[in-house]
Amino acid sequence: MADVTADIEDTKNGLSSTRVAQILLVAAVLLAAARPVLPEFMIRVPEAWIPPFAQWLDYFFNVIVIEKLKIAVLTRWFAEGPLEFMLNTMANLLEGKRRWPFLGPVPWTAVAAVAAVVGYYLGGWRMAALAGGTFIWTALIGQWKIAMQTMSVLSVAAPLAFFTGLLLGITAWKWELVNRIIKPVLSVLQTLPFFTYLLPAVIFFKVGPTAGAVATIVYAIPPMILMTTLGLKKVSPEVVEAGKMAGCTRWQMLTRVYLPAARTEILVGVNQVIMLCLAMVVLTAFIGMPGLGAKLLAMMGSFKLGRSFEIGVTIVLLAVMLDRLSKAWVVKLPEHHEKGTPWWKEHVVLLTAIGAFVVFLALAQFVQVFDHIGRKQDFSRGKEIDTAIKGFLAIDTVQAFTGWWRWFLNVWILIPFRNGLLWIPTPAFILGIVAFSCWLGGKRPAIYAALFFSLVALSGWWDRSVITLYAVISAVILSMFIGLPLGILASRNERWSRRILLACDTAQTFPSFIYLIPAIMLFGVNDVAVIFSIVIFTTVPLTRYTIEGLRTVPPEMTEAADMSGATKRQKLLTVQLPLALPTMAVGFNQAIMFAFFMVIIAAFIGTQDLGQELQRTLAGTDLGKNFVLGICVSLMALSFDLTILSWAERRKRALGLA
Amino acid sequence: MKLKLTLSAAAIALATGTAVHAADSDDPIVIPIHNWSSQIVMSHVVGQIFESMGNNVEFVTTDSQAVYESVRLGDVALELEVWEGAFGASFRAALEKGGLHDAGDHDAVTREDWWYPMWTKDACPGLPDWEALNDCAAVFATPETGDKGRYLDGPVDWLKHGAERAEALGLNFTVINAGSAAALWAEIGAAEADKKPVLVFNWTPNFAEAVWPGEFVNFPKWEDGCDKDPAKGPNPDALYDCGNPATGYLKKAAWDGMGDKWPTAYKVLQAISFTNPQIAEMAKFVDVDEMEPEEAAEAWLEANEAVWKPWVEAAM
Amino acid sequence: MSDRETVISCRNAWKLFGDNPKKFFASMSGSESFDDIRRAGYIAGVRDVSVDVGRGEMLVIMGLSGSGKSTLVRCFSRLHDITTGTITVEGDDIGAMSERELIALRRSKMGMVFQSFGLLPHRTVLDNIAFPLEMRGQDRHDRRKRAMEVIELVGLSGREDYFPRELSGGQQQRVGIARSLAIEPDIWFLDEPFSALDPLIRREMQDEFLRLQQMLSKTIVFITHDFDEALRLADRIAIMKDGAIEQCDTPDQIVLNPATPYVRKFTEDIEKSRVVHAGVLSRPLNGAAPEGEPVQASATIQQLARQLVNDAREDLPVADADGALVGVLNRQQALDVLLGDA
Repeated sequence: MADVTADIEDTKNGLSSTRVAQILLVAAVLLAAARPVLPEFMIRVPEAWIPPFAQWLDYFFNVIVIEKLKIAVLTRWFAEGPLEFMLNTMANLLEGKRRWPFLGPVPWTAVAAVAAVVGYYLGGWRMAALAGGTFIWTALIGQWKIAMQTMSVLSVAAPLAFFTGLLLGITAWKWELVNRIIKPVLSVLQTLPFFTYLLPAVIFFKVGPTAGAVATIVYAIPPMILMTTLGLKKVSPEVVEAGKMAGCTRWQMLTRVYLPAARTEILVGVNQVIMLCLAMVVLTAFIGMPGLGAKLLAMMGSFKLGRSFEIGVTIVLLAVMLDRLSKAWVVKLPEHHEKGTPWWKEHVVLLTAIGAFVVFLALAQFVQVFDHIGRKQDFSRGKEIDTAIKGFLAIDTVQAFTGWWRWFLNVWILIPFRNGLLWIPTPAFILGIVAFSCWLGGKRPAIYAALFFSLVALSGWWDRSVITLYAVISAVILSMFIGLPLGILASRNERWSRRILLACDTAQTFPSFIYLIPAIMLFGVNDVAVIFSIVIFTTVPLTRYTIEGLRTVPPEMTEAADMSGATKRQKLLTVQLPLALPTMAVGFNQAIMFAFFMVIIAAFIGTQDLGQELQRTLAGTDLGKNFVLGICVSLMALSFDLTILSWAERRKRALGLA
Repeated sequence: MKLKLTLSAAAIALATGTAVHAADSDDPIVIPIHNWSSQIVMSHVVGQIFESMGNNVEFVTTDSQAVYESVRLGDVALELEVWEGAFGASFRAALEKGGLHDAGDHDAVTREDWWYPMWTKDACPGLPDWEALNDCAAVFATPETGDKGRYLDGPVDWLKHGAERAEALGLNFTVINAGSAAALWAEIGAAEADKKPVLVFNWTPNFAEAVWPGEFVNFPKWEDGCDKDPAKGPNPDALYDCGNPATGYLKKAAWDGMGDKWPTAYKVLQAISFTNPQIAEMAKFVDVDEMEPEEAAEAWLEANEAVWKPWVEAAM
Repeated sequence: MSDRETVISCRNAWKLFGDNPKKFFASMSGSESFDDIRRAGYIAGVRDVSVDVGRGEMLVIMGLSGSGKSTLVRCFSRLHDITTGTITVEGDDIGAMSERELIALRRSKMGMVFQSFGLLPHRTVLDNIAFPLEMRGQDRHDRRKRAMEVIELVGLSGREDYFPRELSGGQQQRVGIARSLAIEPDIWFLDEPFSALDPLIRREMQDEFLRLQQMLSKTIVFITHDFDEALRLADRIAIMKDGAIEQCDTPDQIVLNPATPYVRKFTEDIEKSRVVHAGVLSRPLNGAAPEGEPVQASATIQQLARQLVNDAREDLPVADADGALVGVLNRQQALDVLLGDA
């Protein structure tokens, strides 16, 4: 039915999308088949035709932005003034950096105690245990100082990202023009590889924590903007009218009516800001951000698997804790106190937190372990874990297993596939992509895909882009073989769904580059390791959305299938999967976006793709090249994003689920 | 905690009471640290020396290539490990732009080249001579390289020209670029369990020597211009037909303003010179003995007073 | 009507929704139907409406959903700007008011109750009710005092620290009512206030509402889609269809003399004797009054049913609340209404 309506819409203005797609595909195949007789310029865009985008951008940045407009003076002032001041203040409080106000570091016991109280307030004993436990673990394992370095940056970056995002979100909601400008910029920002954030940050905001904080903030802003706009748009018109009838001025409307009424969405935005900040703050180790990320890089650089793993666990714990706490905050609604409740009872949580803080602060003055845990007292088991990991990898069956897969995938699948893609002439490749986009998403996404991929071809990085795409496609397809069955199996039962979803959460928050070392040790430096490390990442959304899609199929439909006498298999194939497909498509889309993200990181294993070039630019000052590469990734990712989401949207509308 | 800080500050002031006359600025001397142990420990060693002289010191983590730009701009004051092979290009580029200068060499020499862990020799006894490589290319073969041997070179951006050398010397090897130092270690680590022969890019001094004993392959000796003049080296028609210089420099670099701002500390920096064994010892404290860098630095300073005390005394 | 001072006066008001309603209006000949306008891509929310509301009067606007009744009431408070026409409130043209004047008007004179309550979810009952007071800058103490008064008035004492979601629908609407009364408005708009409530509560709230109105005597514009509710509450009813008012009159007149077939359809199933009052049905005295005990002008025919059946007189005298004779009621005519033959 969906296709019928879509086709009717399309036939109004000529050919149906499906027909256009078929024609394009045939053209692509013909072009590819004619490769031997094609002139050189039809196979690859000749060097001479490639506009010097990088030089133009360099000129733009160096001459216009930096020299003419003196933007760098302003940004550096901001970095060295207010931003550095905030970072230093937090760094002093949390990890004892010798800066104003010279009070820190706060003893770990006090932090853990306050965290536990906050956890209890937001989500009862379980949250209290999670929040307190995370900090206790961090201290015992001997990572307190580096974890606090990370937390101090987070505690500056997240609020700044929150306020900037909120402000931009309000502007975009208030003025349609701003919204129209901001939307495409956000799409690009969300698909831009994180390496592209790093270099400009260093150039404009000074190497080290300031640049890291700025890159983190920029990275975390987009979802905050989107959630703010969404929340404000969703405020019930009657609430708005009630506000107007109460005689609110515009300012009062915004601050007393709109923002409080959009609380839920704004808090969801806060949750996303925190999560993205944490992910990015770890990655900014590449540009000199101290803390967990830097330690992790150093540990990996000296091949200490056990310690890397422990740092990974700390990061996951912090991430899960912040995630759960902020989500608990979203659903936490104010409750009234009975009349006559004494003052202290109304504020019992606050008082307990202050009390615990003071008690541990005092204790720490006299008992050293309450203040900090020395190196000799920690419980790190780095060496033992090292041995365990190495032992596991040395097991013969494991080696035989990975050896076979390495051989099979490399020799029979990956390398031929890659060479095949590289063999296809550029125009045929673009036509093929456009045909796919047209068939799946319709004409609009197809036009964008055509435009975007042509730009990639003109960027001069075609081969590397194709290799990037090859890794993405291979990884997503492979992870479908794992994620879909896993999701389908897990969705059959509530308990398993929950377990698998928890595993998904954990896998996703585990810092991505920890996967690289086991990947290399299992498969060696080659494409299998690259794809393997991407697959770990991309399987997560596929599994998650399959479970969610299947579990949200309306019960009356499955009941109808049961009453029609469908077997389990029939029910799955004819009722559940078709209805879950639009949701699963979102997961599929996210898997592709994750793959584009991870493939850039996988450059650390050794690839010949855009990520490797991007990584190279980090060491220099090639802003122009850095941007061109980043935009190439972004354009390819956006083409898929637009296509798949357009399909999911149409499909949902057709099924009446939207 | 506050109390303790004040105390230790006072202790330093007392111990180095004589240092007060030096006109070093109170601003912290910012020392960059990177992601390998010897450099981190060395930075802490030097930092603690400065602190013992009454200076304020601060450490920032930076990228090891981008750091020269930061030294040039004065964001950080100095750089303690300038490797000829790895960072020579970035260093020279920054030098040309101005703002930083060469603050002298360490005694240590650096070497980077094709390397193998000791167990490899069992499978290919002709090593370390490079000519033995072709005979045992098959032992280095992997599924994706077919019957050719596999050599894991450093990341492409390190510009080690492994592929060119294999070509120039007619080696039956496929050269693959790792993406990072960590990838190199992972490859060696994976081979360690069942003593699989591997051939990878490596350098000295670093922690790997302590973990995996090994040797560099002896290629034809480096001649100046081997990378520019085909005539140099055994193959008259090719570049890169020599091994890398076996004694590359290890320099210190300093921001031009350092001498004026912290004159005493600057004098010490100029005097500082570590040897290969000393650097290896620093790395070992962290990589093998699992110390934290600060502790490793303390331990090293304690054990080597005879080495560093004279540098300080000369500067005071 | 004529004896009341006009509070809201609406003259030839149009409200068109669409891309450029002013331009479209200028191009209209004036004879277009609702559907003609819709075909042109515009929706006529309010179509040439003229109506007055007098002080202390309760005007009920009745219509099915989409008839434009909610739009009309929003034009009265300028939550919507009308396309053309004029609306004056106490003599001031609200279309010409600046934003500041409009805010001042709403802060001092108007209150509104919404169908789905429109409560602010993050504020307690007390804070919701005090919200309009807070907006106009009253100090905390005064706010609290006044809010507690209205809370008592609507019977929510003891619930002032609750949050809206902790209350039942009926209670939430009491909060809505209390909030709209907090500033002691002269004009009270109620947009289907009881539609979201279940029938038993609705009845109770209507009674409550009548009690309040008796105490407060506000000028009220009340919207409903429930004809029974309209008959029960209204001084006058305006029946709307497709944005226009079909008929605007007292309940008795609407029931007795529906102006259009559309209005007639509504009245068909209504038991008229419950709506029509003796006073409305009576003819003037013309000097001679019939003998015997008079009936009350304010009594409905149904209330007089027993007497009408048993009484033998052909005409009955009708007296007002003070006992003065005001007219003559023809018994047969009244019986016709009672039996549904009118």
